[in-house]
Amino acid sequence: MAWIDFLDLVQSIMDGVMFGATYSLIGIGFTLIFGVMHKINLSYAAASVGAAYLSLLIVSVAPTPIVYLIAALCGGVLGAVIYWVCFKFLPLNQSLATLMSTVGMLLVLEESIVHATAGMPQNYPAAFADVVFNVGPFVLRGDLLFVFLLGCAVMVALKYMLEKTKLGLATRAVAQQPIAAQICGMSVDKTNASTFIIAGFLGGTAGAMTGAAIGVLSPLITLPLTVKGLVVTVIGGLGSIPGAILAGLIVGGAESLFQFVRGVSERDIYVMLMLFVFLVFRPNGLFSVPGGRD
Amino acid sequence: MSFLRKNILTLIPVMAALLPLPSHSETREVKIYAFGAKSGVVRIFGLNSEAAMKAAAEQINKAGGVTLGDGSKGKLVLEYLDDRCTAEEGINALRRIASSADGFVAVGPTCSNVAEPVFGILQKKVGDASDTGLQFPVYTDVAAKGGLASMSQWAFRNVPSEANMYKSLFDWIKTNHPEIKTIWGGVEKDFAHSNATFNVMKDFATKAGFEVKGQSEWLLADTTFSNQVREMRRGEADLVMISAHPFTTCGALKEMQRQGVKPKMLVGLTSSSSVETLQGCAAQAEGIIIPTSFAPVTDDARKAAQAMQAVGASMDLHNAAAWENIFTLKDLIEKAKIMAKPETIKEDRLKMRDALASMKESYGLLGKVGRTEDREAVKPFLFVQAKKGEWTVAYKPN
Amino acid sequence: MDFYIGLLQVIGVHTLLGLSAWCILHTGQVSLAQGGFFAIGAYVAGMLTAMAGWPLGLALLTAALTASLIAIAIGFPALRVKGLMLVVATTAFAEIVRLVFFNLKWQVQTSNGLIGPDGGLGFGGIRYFPANAWNGLEILALIWSLVATVMMALWLLDRSRIGTLWRAVGEDEIAAQSAGINLTAAKVSAFGIGGAIAGLAGGIFSHNTTHIEHGNFTILLATFAITYPIIGGLKSLLGTLVAVVFIQGFLIEGLRFLGDWRSLLFGAMILAILLIRPTGLISAPLSLQRLKPTKYELEKGQTSGARHA
Repeated sequence: MAWIDFLDLVQSIMDGVMFGATYSLIGIGFTLIFGVMHKINLSYAAASVGAAYLSLLIVSVAPTPIVYLIAALCGGVLGAVIYWVCFKFLPLNQSLATLMSTVGMLLVLEESIVHATAGMPQNYPAAFADVVFNVGPFVLRGDLLFVFLLGCAVMVALKYMLEKTKLGLATRAVAQQPIAAQICGMSVDKTNASTFIIAGFLGGTAGAMTGAAIGVLSPLITLPLTVKGLVVTVIGGLGSIPGAILAGLIVGGAESLFQFVRGVSERDIYVMLMLFVFLVFRPNGLFSVPGGRD
Repeated sequence: MSFLRKNILTLIPVMAALLPLPSHSETREVKIYAFGAKSGVVRIFGLNSEAAMKAAAEQINKAGGVTLGDGSKGKLVLEYLDDRCTAEEGINALRRIASSADGFVAVGPTCSNVAEPVFGILQKKVGDASDTGLQFPVYTDVAAKGGLASMSQWAFRNVPSEANMYKSLFDWIKTNHPEIKTIWGGVEKDFAHSNATFNVMKDFATKAGFEVKGQSEWLLADTTFSNQVREMRRGEADLVMISAHPFTTCGALKEMQRQGVKPKMLVGLTSSSSVETLQGCAAQAEGIIIPTSFAPVTDDARKAAQAMQAVGASMDLHNAAAWENIFTLKDLIEKAKIMAKPETIKEDRLKMRDALASMKESYGLLGKVGRTEDREAVKPFLFVQAKKGEWTVAYKPN
Repeated sequence: MDFYIGLLQVIGVHTLLGLSAWCILHTGQVSLAQGGFFAIGAYVAGMLTAMAGWPLGLALLTAALTASLIAIAIGFPALRVKGLMLVVATTAFAEIVRLVFFNLKWQVQTSNGLIGPDGGLGFGGIRYFPANAWNGLEILALIWSLVATVMMALWLLDRSRIGTLWRAVGEDEIAAQSAGINLTAAKVSAFGIGGAIAGLAGGIFSHNTTHIEHGNFTILLATFAITYPIIGGLKSLLGTLVAVVFIQGFLIEGLRFLGDWRSLLFGAMILAILLIRPTGLISAPLSLQRLKPTKYELEKGQTSGARHA
């Protein structure tokens, strides 16, 4: 392989890994909800993109960081709505019903976005779009680096919240032993709701970051993002936040690598095969979370 | 609980909804059915088509309506069905139209992946008793993949020939821009229309004497283009031609800006010469040239565009065709002496098909539209260029 | 009349798809792979009749068999994972199938020109029905006799020992294994039979629409496939049929008069159904208790086992 091809390969993988930071953010949300409630929220990616769309309402009057903040807040609100509509009233042992209800929610969210924007792509403000770092012969995108650092910051913040705050204690307790937690006086309902809201903040941020990284928002990205989020969650280990971050980067890098080597038409076949390999050899993911009673 | 009692809540609305609504008319209504995508990412096509056709019908009705076979006047009424850009619903929609008592022609669909199955269920040759395909004339406004109307003698289209347009475009570039020698392509592989058109672009670019050095590929929902644009950068071509829809076109153009790829010229896909591209990336799309079959350069075109603005929509090459279709259908209804009565509806369909087939030319906003043997259109076209967030006319070939 | 016949044809095909998902859901596995088997059946049957001139019956049978064999092959690794991981694994399989067909280019020269799958451009010209003068009623009869046969077969299966095994595995895997039931056999047989039914449905689908392409077989289709039995009620075969009629007949075709609101209401109606009847349309009697927020109280006789996804 010529030197320039090798450089291209490394640059390609680096670009992929950096873009994978957006997948990591979505994966964290999926895995958080699964870790606490043992349920899949299939509408998570759609809510994240929806929150980013909502933040577009103020884009002409507010500076970019405020837009991102609004996206996060809208994500939190959407998270609460999803919990209230899809999960609260369904009995906990009806996992199929909650799966379906989130599917219904996904369809509603996606159609709402399409109806509000007539399906047309919307320009999304980018942070640090012009910043590039030149590391030797390689180029690092400043905005993706920002997303990556944001993801790490989020992980640290979540870890702190889960281990040092009362809410975190309640979340972990409810995840492991809901009956015992209730006996100790914790409100399972409120804890689950707050988990959804926190995941929603994350989702809104993830949606905003994804929009910023691509530059445009379109309803086209909700379904692929859902699939990628699930893949990242599984590879990282169900319920493990550092796992989700690492897995997101791996998936991003692998995607780029497969595309470089085999072209875009076969790229996703190899990503899926990679997932199979993980499931066969490491079914609990990169970092398996110690299970609860069951 | 018995089956009926348990499910009465479901059964009542099912029954009610499936019953055909009774028609009521003091004036004679001439129903024009249309179908296309009004849901999903491509919703804008259906919305625009419907708005254009309704506005056109309103103009005709204001001017006195359409004269029917027995001399009476009728007013055009449009009904638009949403097929959600899926094959099954497109077929269902056409079957529903064909089962109606007042439908004798349908305009649509908007998605090419719906047009293929829909044309596929039509009777291939008129009068072939051994072919149980549907016998109903369909006159397409938007679905643009090449050569579809040849699938059935009941299928007609009013879409521009991308072969003609790109041949003309590359010849024009060759003549007027001798500094352009090499081309690099970008294509959306998993959308039939972009894929097919890219092959057309490559073909005519090569025939015009350019060297197509290579191509970058991506999928329609892709979000990162760094690999592809890096290939483009290494290719160092004078002209970049992108056969993709606005979402990925904008994504690729933004990545090109990021990596500093500045070709001397940019060429795009016909469908991307719309508001969508400008809304997504006006700055990055500056200077892109796209061949199209609509721009407000003639009186008729300007009036039509104004009529669209009056209802809050915009006119582009797609719904311009829908507008033209309504006027064409009015002429054909009068020529073929369509009666539009429930008892004559089967003959009306055959008359309409024969009238569509015998057209040598039809009404167009930019000038007369020619017709081909296999029921396609030869539309006048021009080249538009994105300048400062608007589409301006770059060149109008005659 | 043509319209109702066409609609009933679509309902029939989707019922078969729903029944294939029912088999697998019955053993407690959530699989989004039905779309993949559907696609395999569609392409195989289409290729056999349009490119090789086979008669329809043989083509459908081969399609079902091919899908079934691939399903059994998938069934074995599927055992290694459960729950969410199985959902993702089957999603990955369905996407791989779709992408394989996206890349498949194989055309042959026939009397009607070049026919065959053409990669991203799709596979058109599957005109077996109109070219052989099948009218709407005949196609309808074929589809519904297949549906009836499959439903009868599944009903008999349910009452037989195999059905008991499936239900046991579906209720509680550990207890079933402790009772000596071969988990592998149960799950793989469910996959295989479900795959065959989905392949059959796909074969009919490609002949109904005359043109198929990779975009017909996305995750959304697989989601529809499991929606039917879940909304219909897993305890009853008829429930799947009712759910298909409800979704295809009412939500999609019947609500056309709502115009723009139809697509928006689609997801909302599915949500509403689940909130009112979480175990499905045909199952437990309607209980308004469901609408009150769930309290963590042990009801009389209920054990505290929470079923994981």
